Amino acid sequence: MAGEQSVYVVEGVAVPDSLDLLHDLLERVGSDHPDVLSEDLSMLETAVIEIAGNLIEHGRPAGGVDYRLSLEVMLDRLEGMLSDGGEALPIPPLDGDMPDPFSEAGRGILIAQAVLDELTYERTAVANTWRMVRKRH
Amino acid sequence: MDIELSVIDAGSAVIRCNGRLNMVAAPALKVGIEKLVSEGQARLVVDLADISFIDSSGLGSLIAGLKKARQAGGNLRIAEASEQVLTVLRLTNLDRVLHPYPSVEEASHGW
Repeated sequence: MAGEQSVYVVEGVAVPDSLDLLHDLLERVGSDHPDVLSEDLSMLETAVIEIAGNLIEHGRPAGGVDYRLSLEVMLDRLEGMLSDGGEALPIPPLDGDMPDPFSEAGRGILIAQAVLDELTYERTAVANTWRMVRKRH
Repeated sequence: MDIELSVIDAGSAVIRCNGRLNMVAAPALKVGIEKLVSEGQARLVVDLADISFIDSSGLGSLIAGLKKARQAGGNLRIAEASEQVLTVLRLTNLDRVLHPYPSVEEASHGW
């Protein structure tokens, strides 16, 4: 739609309370774009929160990592980029199996992988960047 | 997230929570469940009707609660999960151990 905002950006510090910024941003995208299926948006939100949660848990220096999330609504897909200036992240295998059902942890990245069509991680000299793509249905 | 604990009878209780069950809220739910189990309520129904979103931390708190309840001779069931919660349960295979019930009423019988 002409004039409709399609790129959204939010910046924060990787601490648990900042997750609300991300949830609220996804909510805003949904209200600006009623044509986006709520399931697609909700699955992108699931991935964004898992990837951000992983950063909050493993980002170093702990509590001192700044991040930037950009989201773009395109005709055929929703795309998110989460970048942070922290140290390199320990990345579990992206194609691993889900842990035993009685395990209390270890599912975050695998859930993100399962709800997305593409998930990639890149480490440059100064930043970690996750690219998340969910095709629109 | 708010958590409301209601004791149903000797040994049973319903835990009602709302909002987003993410890494901010998950520790409080885990503590709430542990408190109920330690007070003798080991048959627990978690009413998820007002939970709009769950992440892996939230799932972890439910699994921790399930294990506590079973160790005490009870169980933990979930009711009225939203589409997002049901999808995440299915993708993680957790629906095998946390069978979703359509209502608190149905989850509260046949222990």
